[in-house]
Amino acid sequence: MKKVALYLIPLAVFLSLIIFLYQGLFSDPRSHRSSLLEEPVPEFVLPDLMNIEQTYTRDVFLGEVTLLNVWGVWCITCAIELPYLKQLQDEGKHIVGLYYDQDIDPDFGIKTVERVQQEVTDKLNQLGNPYDYNIFDVKRDLSLDLGVTGAPETFLIDQQGKIRLHHIGDLNPRVWNNKFAVLYDELAAQ
Amino acid sequence: MNRLMGAVLLFIMLACFSSVAVATEDKFHLDSPEKSALFLELTNELRCPKCQNQNIADSDAMIAVDLRRKVYELLQKDYDRGQVIDYMKQRYGDFVHYQPPVNPMTIWLWLLPVLFIFVALVGVIITRKRQPTPMNNEQLAKAQAILEHDE
Repeated sequence: MKKVALYLIPLAVFLSLIIFLYQGLFSDPRSHRSSLLEEPVPEFVLPDLMNIEQTYTRDVFLGEVTLLNVWGVWCITCAIELPYLKQLQDEGKHIVGLYYDQDIDPDFGIKTVERVQQEVTDKLNQLGNPYDYNIFDVKRDLSLDLGVTGAPETFLIDQQGKIRLHHIGDLNPRVWNNKFAVLYDELAAQ
Repeated sequence: MNRLMGAVLLFIMLACFSSVAVATEDKFHLDSPEKSALFLELTNELRCPKCQNQNIADSDAMIAVDLRRKVYELLQKDYDRGQVIDYMKQRYGDFVHYQPPVNPMTIWLWLLPVLFIFVALVGVIITRKRQPTPMNNEQLAKAQAILEHDE
């Protein structure tokens, strides 16, 4: 009996190690839990991309379930994602863009707002416009406060202005069904 | 030949280090040498959230550039080491710092090696104690005979 245990214990240790490492093969190194979940959107005062005079604060998210989509015309995956976002908007979802530009680098180059607006208009004319409006994250401060690592990323914000989901990467039917659909429907029903 | 190669390599390495140092000092000028040292230290131990396993000093991803600038801004505002790290963790989670926090999940990183050494030590002691039964004279004589036969 004692001898059996002597062989079984290393076997058990070995098997649990195998299971642990095997799971690692399928884990996505890019996904880490956002630290802002269940927290309100950080405070900000930022202009509308198309109408710089108009500014938004986090209060714009109150009262409506919102998909906040981080994007830019320089981002290739965002262009692939746009038609699907358009489809979501056609289904009646409220999508707001958080736009930031790579070339407006506070350390280096300066790009005029007019040029950014022109690029965005061209892109949206070409691929369809899913956004109710775009918030222009001029210096990428809000992106940093939101823990954005790049584009595209999407946040699901509830009627109370709290972040409920943070998705890194593009939105597509698979991601929507697996990650967003249940929570979105639940929030929208409230 | 080898010595020449070595010298060239050494030169290249030194050149790399010095250019990095100059570049950071040019772009982010802090008012005290302590802060500059802290800036280098922090950018070396904060992890770029977008890239796999690069610190923000090392990476050229835009997010790393932004984080470097944020560290610089915070240091200018007299944040200390802990405050800067907390600021980053609040936004990017524990992932952003190379030193993991000690909590029930991560305590095993420290415990497991100690546990392993302990178990191995116990194992060694147990096998040591279990001495093999000494051979009797008959067996020894037999072994001796075989040895002699071989010679």
